[in-house]
Amino acid sequence: MSEQEQEKIADLLKQSLPPVDTGLKRDLWPEMLRRFDERSLQRHWMAAMFSGGALAAVPWFDWALLALVVAGICAFPSSIPIWLYNL
Amino acid sequence: MNPHPYLRAYMAGITVPTMLLLVALTAFLIARYTFQIPIPIERAIIFPMALVPNIFGLWNMFYLSLRSRRHLPIGFHGAILPFILAPAGFTLATCSGFLAPMSRGLVWFHTVTIPYAVLAVGFSLALIAYYLVWKYLVGFFNQVLGIA
Repeated sequence: MSEQEQEKIADLLKQSLPPVDTGLKRDLWPEMLRRFDERSLQRHWMAAMFSGGALAAVPWFDWALLALVVAGICAFPSSIPIWLYNL
Repeated sequence: MNPHPYLRAYMAGITVPTMLLLVALTAFLIARYTFQIPIPIERAIIFPMALVPNIFGLWNMFYLSLRSRRHLPIGFHGAILPFILAPAGFTLATCSGFLAPMSRGLVWFHTVTIPYAVLAVGFSLALIAYYLVWKYLVGFFNQVLGIA
């Protein structure tokens, strides 16, 4: 293949491929700021854990079991060190 | 893509006992230095500080490995744990010298006597407490870390 033919093929290839747009079409900084705002608006994990929706999803028998445990600890306060030991 | 699920299961498992350890340590310190109850903190803290969090983490890893084969709800999985922790804690406390089994019950820290009947009730309550802790707290941290 001669040098002329190589140049011709290179020109044809350049013509057939679409030009690459290396510039930004829009400003990305507002999008970045929006993401920062979204993250700051996300609730703290503890707030999520004790939110009204999360507490409302707890079935009544689990509340009853919790009450039983609390009542048991209150009835036998001398068992508190053992509870703490086995945490 | 789910990188290192067992590591995350371990981390989710140790979170609850590690947080509660601070409560236990504070209570032990107040009892020892404010109310002068002869609790040997340096020996008593070994079990809740070194063993319980690690066992929680390993138990949560075990839960993750079992989940694909045989699904047991996480609350019931956690409720099995006292059957391992109670004998381990009893053995360690007896060897450390602050728990003595007597005819009338277990004597903790040479001051607190727990009758065996109360101990049986307490163990049942511990099963319930572990069920709730695993269902709601460990389950929540599993969700947060993406392994629920």
